[in-house]
Amino acid sequence: MIRSLRGWLVPIAVMAVIVWSFATINLDLTHFGSGLQAGKDLVWSMFPHSRADLRYEWSLRSNLWDPFLETIQMAVVGTVVGGLVALPLSFFAARTTSLPRVFTGTLKTYLNFSRAVPTIVYALLAVSAVGLGKAAGAIAIAFVSFIALAKLYAEALESVSTGPVDAVRAVGGNSTQVFVYGMLPQVFPNYLSVTLYTFEYNLKDSFIVGIVGAGGLGSQLYQAMQHFRWQDAGLIVALLIVMINLVDYGSYRLRAILA
Amino acid sequence: MAAIEIRGLTHSYRNGIPVLEGVDLTIQRGEFVGLIGLSGAGKSTLLRCINGLQSQTGGTCIVLGEAVEQLPERRKRMLRRRIGMIFQEFNLMERLTVRKNVLVGRLGYVSAFLSYFHYFPKSDIQLAHDSLDRVGLLDYARRRVRDLSGGQKQRVAVARTLAQGAEIILADEATANLDVYTKDDIMGLIRELVDNHGMTVLASMHDLPLAQRYCTRIIGLKKGRITFDSSPDTLDESAIADVLGRKVALR
Repeated sequence: MIRSLRGWLVPIAVMAVIVWSFATINLDLTHFGSGLQAGKDLVWSMFPHSRADLRYEWSLRSNLWDPFLETIQMAVVGTVVGGLVALPLSFFAARTTSLPRVFTGTLKTYLNFSRAVPTIVYALLAVSAVGLGKAAGAIAIAFVSFIALAKLYAEALESVSTGPVDAVRAVGGNSTQVFVYGMLPQVFPNYLSVTLYTFEYNLKDSFIVGIVGAGGLGSQLYQAMQHFRWQDAGLIVALLIVMINLVDYGSYRLRAILA
Repeated sequence: MAAIEIRGLTHSYRNGIPVLEGVDLTIQRGEFVGLIGLSGAGKSTLLRCINGLQSQTGGTCIVLGEAVEQLPERRKRMLRRRIGMIFQEFNLMERLTVRKNVLVGRLGYVSAFLSYFHYFPKSDIQLAHDSLDRVGLLDYARRRVRDLSGGQKQRVAVARTLAQGAEIILADEATANLDVYTKDDIMGLIRELVDNHGMTVLASMHDLPLAQRYCTRIIGLKKGRITFDSSPDTLDESAIADVLGRKVALR
Protein backbone atom coordinates (compact mmCIF):
# COMPACT_ATOMS: atom_id res chain seq x y z
CA MET A 1 0.00 0.00 0.00
CA ILE A 2 2.74 2.42 1.07
CA ARG A 3 4.83 1.37 -1.91
CA SER A 4 1.98 2.08 -4.35
CA LEU A 5 1.40 5.46 -2.66
CA ARG A 6 5.08 6.28 -3.14
CA GLY A 7 4.74 5.34 -6.80
CA TRP A 8 1.95 7.90 -7.21
CA LEU A 9 3.68 10.63 -5.23
CA VAL A 10 6.19 11.66 -7.91
CA PRO A 11 3.65 11.95 -10.81
CA ILE A 12 1.28 13.88 -8.52
CA ALA A 13 4.09 16.26 -7.51
CA VAL A 14 5.11 16.78 -11.15
CA MET A 15 1.49 17.47 -12.14
CA ALA A 16 1.12 19.90 -9.24
CA VAL A 17 4.18 21.87 -10.38
CA ILE A 18 2.90 21.98 -13.97
CA VAL A 19 -0.59 23.13 -12.90
CA TRP A 20 0.84 25.75 -10.51
CA SER A 21 3.16 27.09 -13.23
CA PHE A 22 0.33 27.53 -15.73
CA ALA A 23 -2.11 28.88 -13.16
CA THR A 24 0.21 31.60 -11.89
CA ILE A 25 1.78 32.75 -15.17
CA ASN A 26 -0.65 35.75 -15.21
CA LEU A 27 -1.29 35.70 -18.92
CA ASP A 28 -3.60 38.63 -19.62
CA LEU A 29 -5.56 37.68 -22.70
CA THR A 30 -7.51 40.94 -22.75
CA HIS A 31 -4.51 42.68 -24.33
CA PHE A 32 -3.48 39.69 -26.39
CA GLY A 33 -4.91 41.03 -29.63
CA SER A 34 -3.24 44.45 -29.40
CA GLY A 35 -0.02 42.88 -28.03
CA LEU A 36 0.16 40.50 -30.94
CA GLN A 37 -0.20 43.42 -33.34
CA ALA A 38 2.59 45.30 -31.55
CA GLY A 39 4.84 42.26 -31.82
CA LYS A 40 4.04 41.89 -35.49
CA ASP A 41 4.86 45.58 -36.07
CA LEU A 42 8.16 45.19 -34.25
CA VAL A 43 9.20 42.19 -36.37
CA TRP A 44 7.96 44.02 -39.50
CA SER A 45 10.12 47.03 -38.67
CA MET A 46 13.19 44.79 -38.55
CA PHE A 47 12.94 44.00 -42.27
CA PRO A 48 13.91 46.38 -45.09
CA HIS A 49 10.89 47.55 -47.11
CA SER A 50 12.38 49.78 -49.75
CA ARG A 51 15.51 50.32 -51.77
CA ALA A 52 16.41 53.10 -49.36
CA ASP A 53 16.20 50.61 -46.48
CA LEU A 54 18.44 48.21 -48.38
CA ARG A 55 20.93 50.99 -49.10
CA TYR A 56 20.88 51.88 -45.41
CA GLU A 57 21.55 48.26 -44.43
CA TRP A 58 24.39 48.08 -46.95
CA SER A 59 25.85 51.23 -45.38
CA LEU A 60 25.97 49.43 -42.01
CA ARG A 61 28.57 46.95 -43.29
CA SER A 62 31.51 49.10 -42.19
CA ASN A 63 30.04 49.33 -38.67
CA LEU A 64 29.18 45.66 -38.37
CA TRP A 65 32.15 43.98 -40.08
CA ASP A 66 34.60 44.36 -37.18
CA PRO A 67 32.07 43.32 -34.49
CA PHE A 68 31.10 40.37 -36.72
CA LEU A 69 34.74 39.21 -36.83
CA GLU A 70 35.06 39.86 -33.09
CA THR A 71 32.09 37.57 -32.43
CA ILE A 72 33.68 34.75 -34.41
CA GLN A 73 37.05 35.42 -32.75
CA MET A 74 35.55 35.26 -29.26
CA ALA A 75 33.75 32.01 -30.02
CA VAL A 76 36.84 30.42 -31.61
CA VAL A 77 39.28 31.48 -28.87
CA GLY A 78 36.78 30.66 -26.13
CA THR A 79 36.03 27.18 -27.52
CA VAL A 80 39.68 26.29 -28.21
CA VAL A 81 40.99 27.48 -24.82
CA GLY A 82 38.00 26.00 -22.97
CA GLY A 83 38.43 22.67 -24.78
CA LEU A 84 42.18 22.50 -24.19
CA VAL A 85 41.79 23.14 -20.46
CA ALA A 86 38.82 20.77 -20.22
CA LEU A 87 40.65 17.90 -21.93
CA PRO A 88 43.11 17.00 -19.13
CA LEU A 89 40.68 17.99 -16.39
CA SER A 90 37.96 15.71 -17.75
CA PHE A 91 40.34 12.81 -17.12
CA PHE A 92 40.48 13.75 -13.44
CA ALA A 93 36.72 14.33 -13.24
CA ALA A 94 35.77 10.96 -14.80
CA ARG A 95 34.73 8.35 -12.26
CA THR A 96 36.39 5.58 -14.28
CA THR A 97 39.93 6.83 -13.62
CA SER A 98 41.92 5.31 -10.79
CA LEU A 99 41.92 8.56 -8.82
CA PRO A 100 40.23 8.69 -5.39
CA ARG A 101 36.45 9.17 -5.54
CA VAL A 102 36.73 12.22 -3.22
CA PHE A 103 38.91 13.97 -5.80
CA THR A 104 36.71 13.24 -8.82
CA GLY A 105 33.57 13.97 -6.80
CA THR A 106 34.88 17.36 -5.63
CA LEU A 107 35.88 18.32 -9.16
CA LYS A 108 32.49 17.30 -10.55
CA THR A 109 30.65 19.21 -7.81
CA TYR A 110 32.74 22.29 -8.60
CA LEU A 111 31.86 21.95 -12.31
CA ASN A 112 28.16 21.56 -11.49
CA PHE A 113 28.16 24.67 -9.26
CA SER A 114 30.07 26.72 -11.82
CA ARG A 115 27.72 25.61 -14.59
CA ALA A 116 24.77 27.09 -12.72
CA VAL A 117 26.28 30.60 -12.95
CA PRO A 118 24.98 32.48 -16.03
CA THR A 119 27.48 33.47 -18.74
CA ILE A 120 26.71 37.14 -18.23
CA VAL A 121 28.11 36.98 -14.67
CA TYR A 122 31.43 35.60 -15.97
CA ALA A 123 31.41 38.30 -18.63
CA LEU A 124 30.97 40.99 -15.95
CA LEU A 125 33.89 39.52 -13.98
CA ALA A 126 36.05 39.37 -17.10
CA VAL A 127 35.19 42.96 -18.05
CA SER A 128 36.12 44.16 -14.56
CA ALA A 129 39.37 42.17 -14.76
CA VAL A 130 40.64 43.09 -18.23
CA GLY A 131 38.39 45.96 -19.26
CA LEU A 132 35.84 46.35 -22.04
CA GLY A 133 36.37 44.56 -25.33
CA LYS A 134 36.65 41.23 -27.06
CA ALA A 135 39.39 39.89 -24.75
CA ALA A 136 36.92 39.98 -21.86
CA GLY A 137 34.33 38.21 -23.99
CA ALA A 138 36.80 35.52 -25.04
CA ILE A 139 37.82 34.92 -21.40
CA ALA A 140 34.21 34.62 -20.25
CA ILE A 141 33.34 32.25 -23.10
CA ALA A 142 36.50 30.18 -22.53
CA PHE A 143 35.56 29.74 -18.88
CA VAL A 144 31.97 28.76 -19.63
CA SER A 145 33.17 26.37 -22.38
CA PHE A 146 35.72 24.81 -20.05
CA ILE A 147 33.05 24.09 -17.43
CA ALA A 148 30.60 22.63 -19.93
CA LEU A 149 33.19 20.63 -21.88
CA ALA A 150 35.00 19.24 -18.82
CA LYS A 151 31.71 17.76 -17.61
CA LEU A 152 30.67 16.46 -21.03
CA TYR A 153 34.13 15.06 -21.78
CA ALA A 154 34.21 13.35 -18.35
CA GLU A 155 30.79 11.78 -18.95
CA ALA A 156 32.01 10.46 -22.32
CA LEU A 157 35.09 9.00 -20.65
CA GLU A 158 32.92 7.22 -18.11
CA SER A 159 31.23 5.28 -20.90
CA VAL A 160 34.39 3.98 -22.62
CA SER A 161 34.96 0.27 -23.05
CA THR A 162 37.62 -0.94 -20.63
CA GLY A 163 39.07 -3.36 -23.20
CA PRO A 164 41.42 -0.96 -25.04
CA VAL A 165 42.34 0.60 -21.68
CA ASP A 166 43.43 -2.84 -20.44
CA ALA A 167 45.33 -3.42 -23.67
CA VAL A 168 47.42 -0.26 -23.26
CA ARG A 169 48.07 -1.04 -19.61
CA ALA A 170 49.05 -4.59 -20.58
CA VAL A 171 51.81 -3.40 -22.95
CA GLY A 172 53.33 -1.26 -20.20
CA GLY A 173 51.71 2.08 -21.06
CA ASN A 174 51.65 4.85 -18.43
CA SER A 175 48.42 6.57 -17.38
CA THR A 176 48.74 9.35 -19.99
CA GLN A 177 49.32 6.77 -22.73
CA VAL A 178 46.26 4.91 -21.44
CA PHE A 179 44.30 8.15 -21.86
CA VAL A 180 45.73 8.98 -25.30
CA TYR A 181 45.54 5.49 -26.84
CA GLY A 182 42.97 3.60 -24.78
CA MET A 183 40.37 6.29 -24.15
CA LEU A 184 40.68 9.20 -26.58
CA PRO A 185 40.15 7.17 -29.78
CA GLN A 186 36.93 5.84 -28.26
CA VAL A 187 35.56 9.20 -27.20
CA PHE A 188 36.87 11.25 -30.13
CA PRO A 189 33.61 11.33 -32.13
CA ASN A 190 31.75 12.34 -28.97
CA TYR A 191 34.35 14.99 -28.07
CA LEU A 192 34.22 16.40 -31.59
CA SER A 193 30.45 16.53 -31.51
CA VAL A 194 30.14 18.29 -28.15
CA THR A 195 32.99 20.70 -28.98
CA LEU A 196 31.35 21.76 -32.24
CA TYR A 197 28.01 22.09 -30.48
CA THR A 198 29.69 24.23 -27.82
CA PHE A 199 31.17 26.39 -30.59
CA GLU A 200 27.70 26.99 -32.01
CA TYR A 201 26.43 27.78 -28.55
CA ASN A 202 29.37 30.13 -27.99
CA LEU A 203 28.48 32.12 -31.08
CA LYS A 204 25.12 32.83 -29.43
CA ASP A 205 26.78 33.38 -26.06
CA SER A 206 29.11 35.96 -27.57
CA PHE A 207 25.99 38.06 -28.16
CA ILE A 208 25.10 37.85 -24.48
CA VAL A 209 28.57 38.84 -23.30
CA GLY A 210 28.44 41.75 -25.75
CA ILE A 211 25.58 43.23 -23.73
CA VAL A 212 27.93 43.93 -20.80
CA GLY A 213 30.52 45.53 -23.05
CA ALA A 214 32.58 42.52 -23.99
CA GLY A 215 32.56 43.44 -27.68
CA GLY A 216 31.21 41.70 -30.75
CA LEU A 217 27.82 41.90 -32.42
CA GLY A 218 26.14 41.55 -29.03
CA SER A 219 27.18 45.10 -28.11
CA GLN A 220 25.87 46.35 -31.46
CA LEU A 221 22.57 44.52 -30.99
CA TYR A 222 22.16 45.90 -27.48
CA GLN A 223 22.84 49.46 -28.63
CA ALA A 224 20.49 49.10 -31.60
CA MET A 225 17.70 47.88 -29.34
CA GLN A 226 18.32 50.61 -26.78
CA HIS A 227 18.00 53.23 -29.49
CA PHE A 228 15.00 51.54 -31.16
CA ARG A 229 16.98 51.00 -34.35
CA TRP A 230 14.97 47.91 -35.21
CA GLN A 231 16.27 47.61 -38.72
CA ASP A 232 19.84 47.42 -37.39
CA ALA A 233 18.72 44.83 -34.85
CA GLY A 234 17.01 42.79 -37.58
CA LEU A 235 20.15 42.76 -39.69
CA ILE A 236 22.31 41.65 -36.74
CA VAL A 237 19.89 38.82 -35.87
CA ALA A 238 19.88 37.77 -39.54
CA LEU A 239 23.68 37.66 -39.47
CA LEU A 240 23.54 35.45 -36.37
CA ILE A 241 21.06 33.07 -38.03
CA VAL A 242 23.24 32.76 -41.15
CA MET A 243 26.38 32.32 -39.04
CA ILE A 244 24.87 29.59 -36.84
CA ASN A 245 23.50 27.69 -39.82
CA LEU A 246 26.81 27.85 -41.68
CA VAL A 247 28.63 26.54 -38.60
CA ASP A 248 25.99 23.84 -38.16
CA TYR A 249 26.47 22.67 -41.75
CA GLY A 250 30.27 22.89 -41.45
CA SER A 251 30.30 20.87 -38.24
CA TYR A 252 28.01 18.26 -39.79
CA ARG A 253 30.46 17.86 -42.70
CA LEU A 254 33.47 17.79 -40.36
CA ARG A 255 31.87 15.12 -38.17
CA ALA A 256 31.13 13.00 -41.23
CA ILE A 257 34.77 13.25 -42.40
CA LEU A 258 36.48 12.68 -39.05
CA ALA A 259 34.14 10.28 -37.25
CA MET B 1 64.90 -19.97 -14.72
CA ALA B 2 61.21 -20.64 -15.19
CA ALA B 3 59.19 -18.13 -17.20
CA ILE B 4 56.40 -18.11 -14.60
CA GLU B 5 56.61 -19.38 -11.04
CA ILE B 6 53.53 -19.08 -8.85
CA ARG B 7 53.35 -20.15 -5.21
CA GLY B 8 50.19 -20.09 -3.08
CA LEU B 9 48.54 -17.41 -5.21
CA THR B 10 45.23 -16.21 -3.81
CA HIS B 11 42.80 -13.55 -4.95
CA SER B 12 39.43 -12.56 -3.52
CA TYR B 13 36.75 -10.13 -4.62
CA ARG B 14 36.14 -7.08 -2.47
CA ASN B 15 33.20 -8.84 -0.84
CA GLY B 16 35.58 -11.58 0.29
CA ILE B 17 34.49 -14.27 -2.19
CA PRO B 18 37.64 -16.19 -3.17
CA VAL B 19 38.56 -16.48 -6.86
CA LEU B 20 41.98 -18.10 -6.62
CA GLU B 21 42.79 -20.32 -3.67
CA GLY B 22 46.46 -21.21 -3.33
CA VAL B 23 47.50 -21.73 -6.95
CA ASP B 24 50.94 -23.36 -7.37
CA LEU B 25 52.26 -23.38 -10.92
CA THR B 26 55.58 -23.39 -12.73
CA ILE B 27 55.78 -22.78 -16.45
CA GLN B 28 59.10 -23.24 -18.23
CA ARG B 29 60.21 -21.13 -21.17
CA GLY B 30 58.94 -22.42 -24.51
CA GLU B 31 55.87 -24.15 -23.08
CA PHE B 32 52.42 -23.71 -24.63
CA VAL B 33 50.07 -24.17 -21.71
CA GLY B 34 46.32 -24.41 -22.13
CA LEU B 35 44.24 -23.29 -19.17
CA ILE B 36 40.80 -24.92 -19.04
CA GLY B 37 37.92 -24.63 -16.63
CA LEU B 38 34.37 -23.41 -16.31
CA SER B 39 33.50 -19.72 -16.50
CA GLY B 40 34.22 -18.19 -13.10
CA ALA B 41 36.90 -20.79 -12.28
CA GLY B 42 39.49 -18.00 -12.05
CA LYS B 43 41.25 -18.35 -15.42
CA SER B 44 41.14 -14.67 -16.39
CA THR B 45 42.04 -13.59 -12.86
CA LEU B 46 45.08 -15.85 -12.91
CA LEU B 47 46.24 -14.36 -16.22
CA ARG B 48 45.69 -10.80 -14.97
CA CYS B 49 47.59 -11.50 -11.75
CA ILE B 50 50.56 -12.70 -13.81
CA ASN B 51 51.00 -9.34 -15.57
CA GLY B 52 49.90 -7.33 -12.57
CA LEU B 53 46.69 -5.96 -14.10
CA GLN B 54 44.96 -7.47 -11.07
CA SER B 55 46.47 -7.29 -7.63
CA GLN B 56 46.75 -10.55 -5.73
CA THR B 57 45.54 -11.08 -2.18
CA GLY B 58 48.32 -13.49 -1.19
CA GLY B 59 51.15 -15.72 -2.40
CA THR B 60 53.95 -14.95 -4.82
CA CYS B 61 53.97 -14.62 -8.57
CA ILE B 62 57.44 -14.54 -10.11
CA VAL B 63 57.43 -13.69 -13.80
CA LEU B 64 60.70 -13.62 -15.79
CA GLY B 65 62.55 -13.53 -12.48
CA GLU B 66 60.59 -10.61 -10.97
CA ALA B 67 58.08 -10.86 -8.12
CA VAL B 68 55.10 -9.01 -9.63
CA GLU B 69 53.43 -8.04 -6.35
CA GLN B 70 56.58 -6.44 -4.96
CA LEU B 71 57.33 -4.26 -7.97
CA PRO B 72 56.61 -0.53 -7.85
CA GLU B 73 54.28 0.65 -10.62
CA ARG B 74 57.10 1.84 -12.90
CA ARG B 75 58.95 -1.51 -12.70
CA LYS B 76 55.66 -3.32 -13.17
CA ARG B 77 55.14 -1.39 -16.42
CA MET B 78 58.64 -2.37 -17.55
CA LEU B 79 57.86 -6.02 -16.84
CA ARG B 80 54.58 -5.79 -18.76
CA ARG B 81 56.54 -4.83 -21.87
CA ARG B 82 57.87 -8.39 -21.90
CA ILE B 83 54.42 -9.96 -21.49
CA GLY B 84 52.01 -9.81 -24.41
CA MET B 85 48.29 -10.18 -23.84
CA ILE B 86 45.67 -11.27 -26.33
CA PHE B 87 42.03 -10.80 -25.39
CA GLN B 88 38.77 -12.46 -26.37
CA GLU B 89 37.29 -9.12 -27.48
CA PHE B 90 40.55 -8.19 -29.29
CA ASN B 91 40.74 -4.91 -27.32
CA LEU B 92 42.05 -2.97 -30.28
CA MET B 93 41.49 0.72 -30.92
CA GLU B 94 38.86 0.38 -33.63
CA ARG B 95 39.19 3.91 -35.02
CA LEU B 96 42.98 3.73 -35.35
CA THR B 97 44.83 2.11 -38.21
CA VAL B 98 46.15 -1.43 -38.06
CA ARG B 99 49.72 -0.09 -37.95
CA LYS B 100 48.97 2.29 -35.09
CA ASN B 101 47.43 -0.56 -33.13
CA VAL B 102 50.56 -2.62 -33.61
CA LEU B 103 52.69 0.37 -32.61
CA VAL B 104 50.77 0.46 -29.31
CA GLY B 105 52.96 -2.54 -28.46
CA ARG B 106 55.97 -0.17 -28.54
CA LEU B 107 54.50 2.32 -26.03
CA GLY B 108 56.64 1.00 -23.20
CA TYR B 109 59.83 1.58 -25.17
CA VAL B 110 59.43 4.93 -26.92
CA SER B 111 59.68 8.43 -25.49
CA ALA B 112 56.47 8.83 -23.50
CA PHE B 113 56.19 12.53 -24.39
CA LEU B 114 56.51 11.94 -28.14
CA SER B 115 54.08 9.04 -27.98
CA TYR B 116 51.39 11.42 -26.65
CA PHE B 117 51.50 13.01 -30.13
CA HIS B 118 51.41 9.60 -31.88
CA TYR B 119 55.07 9.92 -32.88
CA PHE B 120 57.07 6.69 -33.22
CA PRO B 121 60.66 6.33 -34.47
CA LYS B 122 61.24 4.87 -37.94
CA SER B 123 62.76 1.72 -36.43
CA ASP B 124 59.51 1.06 -34.52
CA ILE B 125 57.42 1.63 -37.62
CA GLN B 126 59.64 -0.86 -39.45
CA LEU B 127 59.19 -3.30 -36.56
CA ALA B 128 55.41 -2.87 -36.80
CA HIS B 129 55.55 -3.60 -40.53
CA ASP B 130 57.69 -6.69 -39.91
CA SER B 131 55.22 -7.91 -37.27
CA LEU B 132 52.28 -7.37 -39.63
CA ASP B 133 54.18 -9.20 -42.35
CA ARG B 134 54.62 -12.17 -40.01
CA VAL B 135 50.88 -12.41 -39.40
CA GLY B 136 50.07 -11.84 -43.07
CA LEU B 137 48.50 -8.40 -42.72
CA LEU B 138 51.13 -6.04 -44.12
CA ASP B 139 48.78 -4.96 -46.91
CA TYR B 140 46.26 -3.86 -44.28
CA ALA B 141 48.64 -1.57 -42.38
CA ARG B 142 46.87 1.66 -43.30
CA ARG B 143 43.32 0.36 -42.90
CA ARG B 144 41.24 1.10 -39.85
CA VAL B 145 40.81 -1.85 -37.51
CA ARG B 146 37.02 -1.46 -37.52
CA ASP B 147 37.03 -2.54 -41.18
CA LEU B 148 38.64 -5.92 -40.44
CA SER B 149 37.08 -9.33 -39.73
CA GLY B 150 37.32 -10.98 -36.30
CA GLY B 151 40.16 -13.27 -37.38
CA GLN B 152 42.11 -10.36 -38.87
CA LYS B 153 41.63 -8.37 -35.68
CA GLN B 154 43.06 -11.19 -33.62
CA ARG B 155 46.03 -11.34 -36.00
CA VAL B 156 46.58 -7.64 -35.37
CA ALA B 157 46.57 -8.40 -31.63
CA VAL B 158 49.20 -11.10 -32.20
CA ALA B 159 51.25 -8.63 -34.28
CA ARG B 160 51.02 -6.18 -31.38
CA THR B 161 52.60 -8.71 -29.02
CA LEU B 162 55.30 -9.41 -31.62
CA ALA B 163 56.10 -5.70 -31.95
CA GLN B 164 56.15 -5.54 -28.18
CA GLY B 165 59.02 -8.04 -28.17
CA ALA B 166 57.08 -10.14 -25.67
CA GLU B 167 58.69 -13.25 -24.22
CA ILE B 168 55.43 -14.51 -22.72
CA ILE B 169 51.97 -14.42 -24.29
CA LEU B 170 48.88 -14.54 -22.09
CA ALA B 171 45.85 -15.36 -24.21
CA ASP B 172 42.50 -14.83 -22.51
CA GLU B 173 40.03 -16.93 -24.51
CA ALA B 174 41.63 -15.51 -27.63
CA THR B 175 39.71 -17.79 -30.00
CA ALA B 176 36.31 -17.76 -28.29
CA ASN B 177 34.75 -15.27 -30.75
CA LEU B 178 36.13 -16.88 -33.90
CA ASP B 179 34.81 -19.50 -36.32
CA VAL B 180 36.37 -22.98 -36.35
CA TYR B 181 38.74 -22.30 -39.26
CA THR B 182 39.94 -18.98 -37.89
CA LYS B 183 40.44 -20.57 -34.46
CA ASP B 184 42.85 -23.04 -36.04
CA ASP B 185 44.49 -20.23 -37.93
CA ILE B 186 45.19 -18.16 -34.79
CA MET B 187 46.24 -21.15 -32.69
CA GLY B 188 48.59 -22.25 -35.47
CA LEU B 189 50.11 -18.79 -35.53
CA ILE B 190 50.66 -18.81 -31.76
CA ARG B 191 52.08 -22.33 -31.88
CA GLU B 192 54.53 -21.18 -34.54
CA LEU B 193 55.74 -18.45 -32.17
CA VAL B 194 56.36 -21.10 -29.51
CA ASP B 195 58.15 -23.51 -31.84
CA ASN B 196 60.25 -21.05 -33.83
CA HIS B 197 60.73 -18.12 -31.50
CA GLY B 198 60.84 -19.76 -28.09
CA MET B 199 57.87 -17.85 -26.73
CA THR B 200 56.04 -19.06 -23.64
CA VAL B 201 52.24 -19.11 -23.89
CA LEU B 202 49.55 -19.46 -21.27
CA ALA B 203 46.17 -19.55 -22.98
CA SER B 204 42.80 -19.90 -21.30
CA MET B 205 40.27 -21.64 -23.53
CA HIS B 206 36.98 -23.50 -23.57
CA ASP B 207 37.60 -25.47 -26.77
CA LEU B 208 39.12 -28.68 -25.38
CA PRO B 209 39.97 -30.43 -28.69
CA LEU B 210 41.71 -27.22 -29.80
CA ALA B 211 43.67 -27.14 -26.55
CA GLN B 212 44.68 -30.77 -27.05
CA ARG B 213 45.77 -30.09 -30.62
CA TYR B 214 48.02 -27.12 -30.01
CA CYS B 215 49.11 -27.04 -26.37
CA THR B 216 52.10 -28.86 -24.94
CA ARG B 217 50.52 -28.95 -21.48
CA ILE B 218 47.03 -28.58 -20.07
CA ILE B 219 46.09 -27.15 -16.71
CA GLY B 220 42.59 -27.51 -15.30
CA LEU B 221 41.28 -24.87 -12.91
CA LYS B 222 38.25 -25.55 -10.73
CA LYS B 223 36.91 -23.04 -8.21
CA GLY B 224 40.27 -21.30 -7.99
CA ARG B 225 42.38 -24.45 -7.58
CA ILE B 226 44.45 -26.44 -10.04
CA THR B 227 42.87 -29.89 -10.32
CA PHE B 228 44.61 -31.11 -13.47
CA ASP B 229 48.13 -30.55 -14.76
CA SER B 230 49.47 -32.89 -17.41
CA SER B 231 50.20 -33.39 -21.09
CA PRO B 232 47.29 -33.05 -23.56
CA ASP B 233 47.15 -36.77 -24.37
CA THR B 234 46.31 -37.61 -20.76
CA LEU B 235 43.27 -35.32 -20.84
CA ASP B 236 40.52 -37.92 -21.05
CA GLU B 237 36.81 -37.70 -20.36
CA SER B 238 37.13 -38.55 -16.66
CA ALA B 239 39.76 -35.82 -16.19
CA ILE B 240 37.49 -33.34 -17.96
CA ALA B 241 34.56 -34.43 -15.82
CA ASP B 242 36.72 -33.73 -12.78
CA VAL B 243 37.64 -30.21 -13.97
CA LEU B 244 34.30 -29.19 -15.42
CA GLY B 245 32.09 -31.12 -13.01
CA ARG B 246 30.30 -32.95 -15.85
CA LYS B 247 31.00 -35.30 -18.75
CA VAL B 248 32.05 -33.74 -22.04
CA ALA B 249 32.89 -35.77 -25.15
CA LEU B 250 36.24 -34.90 -26.73
CA ARG B 251 34.93 -34.82 -30.28
